[in-house]
Amino acid sequence: MSQSRFLKAAATVVFTAATLISTTGCSSTVDGYEPDTFRINLQAEPPSLDWQTSTDSTSFDVVSNLMTGLTQYNNDMKCEPGCAEKWEVLDGGKHFVFHLRKNARWTDGKPVTAHDFEYAWKRLLNPATAASYAFFLYDIENAYEYNSGKIKDAELVGVKALDDWTFSVKLKRPAAYFLYLTAFCSTCPLRKDIIDKYGDRWTEPQNIVTNGPFKITLWKHEYKIELSANPHFFEGPPRLKKIKMFMIPEQATAFGLFENNQLDYIDNRSFPTADVERFRSSPLYRSLPLLRCSYIGFNVKKKPFDDKRVRQAFSMAIDRTLFPKILRRGERPAYTWIPPALDGYSEESKSEFDPQAARKLLAEAGYPEGKGFPLTKVLYPQREDAKLVVESVQEQIKKNLNVKLQLEVNEWKVYLDILHRDPPQMFRQTWGADYPDPETFMNVFTTRNGNNYTRWSNSEFDDLVDKASAEQNQKKRAAMYAKGDKLLCQDEVPIIPIYWATQNTMVKPWVKEIGFNAMDLQFFRKVYIEKPN
Amino acid sequence: MLALILKRLLTAVPVLLVVATLTFFLMRMVPGGPFDADKNLPPAIVANLNAKYQLDKPVAEQYVIYLTRLAKGDLGISYKYVNRTVLDILSEAMPVSLQLGSAALLLAVIIGVPLGTLAAVKRGTWLDVAAMFLSTAGISVPGFVTGAFLIFIFGIWLKILPVALWESPAHMILPALTLAFSPAAYLARLTRASVLEILEKDWVRTARSKGLSHWSTVMKHTLRNALVPVVTVLGPLTAILITGSFVVEYLYAIPGMGRFFVTAVTNRDYDLIMGTTLIFAALLIVTNAIVDVAYQILDPRMKVEG
Repeated sequence: MSQSRFLKAAATVVFTAATLISTTGCSSTVDGYEPDTFRINLQAEPPSLDWQTSTDSTSFDVVSNLMTGLTQYNNDMKCEPGCAEKWEVLDGGKHFVFHLRKNARWTDGKPVTAHDFEYAWKRLLNPATAASYAFFLYDIENAYEYNSGKIKDAELVGVKALDDWTFSVKLKRPAAYFLYLTAFCSTCPLRKDIIDKYGDRWTEPQNIVTNGPFKITLWKHEYKIELSANPHFFEGPPRLKKIKMFMIPEQATAFGLFENNQLDYIDNRSFPTADVERFRSSPLYRSLPLLRCSYIGFNVKKKPFDDKRVRQAFSMAIDRTLFPKILRRGERPAYTWIPPALDGYSEESKSEFDPQAARKLLAEAGYPEGKGFPLTKVLYPQREDAKLVVESVQEQIKKNLNVKLQLEVNEWKVYLDILHRDPPQMFRQTWGADYPDPETFMNVFTTRNGNNYTRWSNSEFDDLVDKASAEQNQKKRAAMYAKGDKLLCQDEVPIIPIYWATQNTMVKPWVKEIGFNAMDLQFFRKVYIEKPN
Repeated sequence: MLALILKRLLTAVPVLLVVATLTFFLMRMVPGGPFDADKNLPPAIVANLNAKYQLDKPVAEQYVIYLTRLAKGDLGISYKYVNRTVLDILSEAMPVSLQLGSAALLLAVIIGVPLGTLAAVKRGTWLDVAAMFLSTAGISVPGFVTGAFLIFIFGIWLKILPVALWESPAHMILPALTLAFSPAAYLARLTRASVLEILEKDWVRTARSKGLSHWSTVMKHTLRNALVPVVTVLGPLTAILITGSFVVEYLYAIPGMGRFFVTAVTNRDYDLIMGTTLIFAALLIVTNAIVDVAYQILDPRMKVEG
């Protein structure tokens, strides 16, 4: 046999074998939907399904479908009754009494009781748990003291099961946003007997018990999680029989699987920018602004940004409408720190683009036409979107103020390390809401908050945020936040809000009742699959 | 031969200790820690986390704790994946990488060695040019490009192979081909050079002059001797392939070990960094020992000194 014939024969054998194997090996779902099954991409392995040690959106996407807290969010981000069918707010907002429904069940059929909440909340605060989100409960009496080791007795913490169906929570001071925390994954109940029995292995599918619409049936680490309907769920079992959550890291690969009908739903994690543009007019495409803002921060302790006129000038010299054009993922320009969807948003807090006024302010600060402006570094993490943003800021500041900025990129953890230790004059950072309340945004720039990398400290702002967080009258509260937002974006300008992120999604036509929300939480309890015509 | 293997294994202990020590202190010198996150945590919570993972102790003490645990076979815990040990993570991921890497290694040898031999034997012909063009492409084109190209052709356009995932033997074909492409190309070049060198030897000419056919000379007398340098690279190549590839696993969503070489570092997942490094080092030592044994089988004149 000549060599060419041999090569031809070998190629034919390999190709035929590949085709045969692919025909037998591929799922029958390649050309369509999978009945009663919803297939999505998580992109990465959830670091933990222990809802008290989870801190990331991937874990919460799974836990949100496994667990229900005292309350639960609807897609308008309002708190609806969850395990608690009703609650009382007493003592001017300092005391909450939750009355639990008696038909809430764990997946093993046992009832969800107030004792499960008491145990869970005390475990969340226990220093040995080392839960990152323990601070969510710091508004509770003695919670901080217990978590920081100042007191050792958990019984002193202001949470108590008064009986099987009544759960009492006493706060140090009123917190108007507190109810939102009871819908958050970290505050969901836990079963002491399960954790005692299985120790660190309690989250494995064969051990875990949950109380939400779905239960976990498979966890193939770094690859796939499967959930199935929980027959004991108090709202009745969901219509979906199964959810397959894959962990496909590469956006283009996940998008290819969606195109091949092997995924039913994709979001930003699986949606390459080029494809967002290509499919924007598709009937399958949907987008929604998120409660996540990107901003440029100033270290106000470093020259020349210790002068608020310089900060104001920079803010006025940046045209926010350019960022959506550069980033191309449907971002919305941000002119305020409080997003338009939340109470406290006010048009009067907006920082407008006005290069002429910016040049005037810079001249007043001693830098006419940018002359004599000191070398200014802008720190940003190694990410494509961050790079595009800071490059645009650099170009605009040069064009409008004749000031040269020096960009400094760093690997993510190195970037965070610099930010935590010694923030440079300027940096690019983002913030996403923990709960749908202006407090989660405004608290960031109070003097005491560890996320305030600007080193800006303003007693008027701190006082406004403190008072607003305790205020029970929503109208008065919104007015206080609006005043604080104006201080932040117009008067003092320790930050320049740049844009609001957007969730870009595509959903197959057979997926029904899928909802979206600005917190980007994935709730699938109402989703169902309808056979395509 | 047994003595040689024993000697290799005994020298492995100090080598692994040096690797462990260097890795341990180098990773602590890199800025940023495992709990640095987008949202800065209150100091009380950072203190709780550091206490839980014993990161509140001096680095030297942490080193002693780590070595003591390592001596007992405990590779530590992950700081990123809560409640999972490094052994849990690697024991789940390694079989996948081993499977994919073995397939890729087999493909690389099956394609690379014959291609290189053919190119050498047909030196200067179009076959040689084509084989060397392919192997240059294989070495220079990154795996990401090769993978994306294969996915597009076979997964999206022809729809005859799965785009990604790890569900059936069919799902292994494209990733194995992607992973094998570059080593096959390298082996082809190496084999070609080696075969050409052997073909010039006097004893090959003697074999031909005695009337042995061209292919018989190549297969019986040339190839066996030409394989020595190929076997040399097979040691490290095996270790590299069976510990997984970040790019291929990332691209095809394969739950292998390759990703941890990168993500453990970016997450500052200290024990996982140590675990992946030590496993790779140990595999390198073992595969090199196998290569030494293979030398003696291929050419008994080669007495390997430990």
